[in-house]
Parts: sequence; C-alpha cells; structure tokens
Amino acid sequence: MATGLIRRAIASASSRSTAASFRYVCVRTMASEAQAQQVDLKARDKTDVKTFSIYRWNPDNPKKPELKEYEIDLKECGPMVLDALIKIKNEMDPTLTFRRSCREGICGSCAMNIDGCNGLACLTKIAPSNAGATMITPLPHMFVIKDLVVDMTNFYNQYKSIEPWLKRKTPAAELDGKEIRQSKKDRAKLDGMYECILCACCSTSCPSYWWNPESYLGPAALLHANRWISDSRDEYTEERLDAVNDEFKLYRCHTILNCARACPKGLNPGKQIQHIKQLQLKP
Amino acid sequence: MGPSSAPRRLSGMQKQVLSLYRGFLRAARTKSAEDRQRIESIVSIEFRRNAKEVDRKNFLYIEYLLRRGKKQLDQLRSPDIVGLSATNVSFSQTKAPTH
Repeated sequence: MATGLIRRAIASASSRSTAASFRYVCVRTMASEAQAQQVDLKARDKTDVKTFSIYRWNPDNPKKPELKEYEIDLKECGPMVLDALIKIKNEMDPTLTFRRSCREGICGSCAMNIDGCNGLACLTKIAPSNAGATMITPLPHMFVIKDLVVDMTNFYNQYKSIEPWLKRKTPAAELDGKEIRQSKKDRAKLDGMYECILCACCSTSCPSYWWNPESYLGPAALLHANRWISDSRDEYTEERLDAVNDEFKLYRCHTILNCARACPKGLNPGKQIQHIKQLQLKP
Repeated sequence: MGPSSAPRRLSGMQKQVLSLYRGFLRAARTKSAEDRQRIESIVSIEFRRNAKEVDRKNFLYIEYLLRRGKKQLDQLRSPDIVGLSATNVSFSQTKAPTH
C-alpha cells in the first residue's frame, strides 16, 4: 500500500516534465527514491516462520519419545505438510523418517496425524503461521517403528483376511473366454468403495479399532468387504457375509463415524458398514 | 560355585522373551546342520547382548525388540528360508550435505 502511495506521489511530481520522456523520468525518479527501495527490501526480507513439533523416536537409541520443534520459512516452502517435512529432512535434520511416494494423494504412504486429525501429508495444507505450532505425530494407536513410520502389518493382514478378489462358482469356459459383463447400474454400486487407497486414516481414527485392533476388522477392511459383497460379478456373496458376521469382526462398529471424517479421499466407510449390517438382517 | 541365579517368578515380558528364544531354537532345528549352528550362535549373541545392554525398565524398547523378533521368526520358519547371516556396520562420522 505504501509503495502505491509513493509511486503516485512521484508520478504527480514528475508530471510537470514533457510527455515524451514522462515514463523514463518516472522510472529514474523511482529508482533513485530511497524510500521505495527500502520498502521493496522489507517485502523480500520478511520471513513467515512456522513451527512444527514432530514426534521423534529412534529404536537404535531408545530413549522416551519426544516432540522436536523445527522452524520453517513458509515463503521458501511448498504449501503442503509433506513439502515442509521434505524440507526439514533435506536441510535441517536428515534423520527424520517418514513414508512418502506419490506426493499427490493416491498412494496413501504419507498418512499421519496432523494437528490431531488423520490425513495424508501431501494433501494437507500447512496452517498459517499465526495459528501457532503444528503438531505432527504418527497414526494413533499403531506400533511405531521409527519417528513417523508405523507398523501396518496387522492392517494389511485384516485386508487380506476378507479375500479381496473376485470369486466365482461357474467355470470360466461357460462365458466363452470373454470378460464378465456388468451393467452400468451395477458398476455404479461400487462407487465410493473402489477409490480406497488403504492409507489407514479411517481405521486408526476409530476408537473401537483402538481398543480391539486384533479382533475388529476396522472401517477400511469392512469397506473393501462391502466392495466385494456388492460386486455383481462375484458369486460368493453369502459366504462373504457369513465370514464377516461375527460379533467382533463387524459388530464392534458403533457408528462413531470418525472414519468418514478422517478419510482423505472423501469416502464414507461407516455407510458401507451399515450396508453390510442391513444385508445380514435378510434371512 | 554360587547359588543358582534362576529367578523364582518370571514376569510376563520375561516369559515372552524366553518363548521367542525357544521359538528361534526350534526353527533352527528344522534347517540343515551348519545353518543350524550359525542361526543358534547369531540368535544367542543377539539375545545376550540385549540382556546386558537394555535397561530392564525400558518396556517400550523391549516390546519393540519382541515385535521385531517375532517378525524375523515368522520369516525364518518359512521353508524357503535356509539361513541367517549377520554383518557389522560401523557408523563413521558423516558430514552434513553442503549445497
């Protein structure tokens, strides 16, 4: 704003000169104007410093886990939390450990807890610096391997246990070797389930999953179970429903719906679990 | 010789460590003779070193080592795996990258 006023003052001062050289004179007077220079320098020097307090724990040097603070100039950093983490790792602390791959929210590697909410680091924007420090911790109630890396084997085993592949009873020869047909309506039934990237944000935000991680399947696995139950090409629907129809595997869900809130892709696992429960009611 | 140093009551965590050690020795029995010796020596060195170095109250680290050990044991049990080997990596002072 101040620069604008100064420029207008110079323009009015030099308007007395001839029209032809007006612009050149204007530029020269601005260049020699010390105040204008100072204001330009201040705009460049201003650094927008943001503090990140990041959970650190090293298994090779086992002390108690701690929150370490790092300061980043937001003017020299990309907009997403993953950009800040990479900048910290490159310039300040190379021992910071985290998972990352696609940087566009499709692989699900960089799932972590940012300021209390589970999400993907590559999709979460950094909150402005006047909002205080950002706390980055690993996914809650998961065993930590190092810093922000957690042990996902239990999560993957639960996904494997629901048998996430097409199962058919009629032999393939009957369909004359071509693909199994599916109408557009039936394909539309899978929308909202096939997009799941298995980032574990939903399962690790579910309090019921925190208290029973080994027996409750969790929203992600149940979402995929519903994806295969609702697939018209799959012929083992009844067996799939019976496999999940367990007091712990399915009915630990108490519709807390933290999963729908946490999903970075905007899916609603709670709704899919409701669908499974309704199908179980049919005789 | 002094009195026997075997503790009277083992805590749950001590029992887990001992059963993990037992599991390793049993898995080693299923492999060939020279691999069995190598596995037994590596495993016993690792367990004895950790028993000396790790503080008894450091539950977080002990649980981490137990989890890691269980995963390694599951890998070892598979019939495709034939043996273990260990190498020593010395940590020399690394310079921070200068741009």
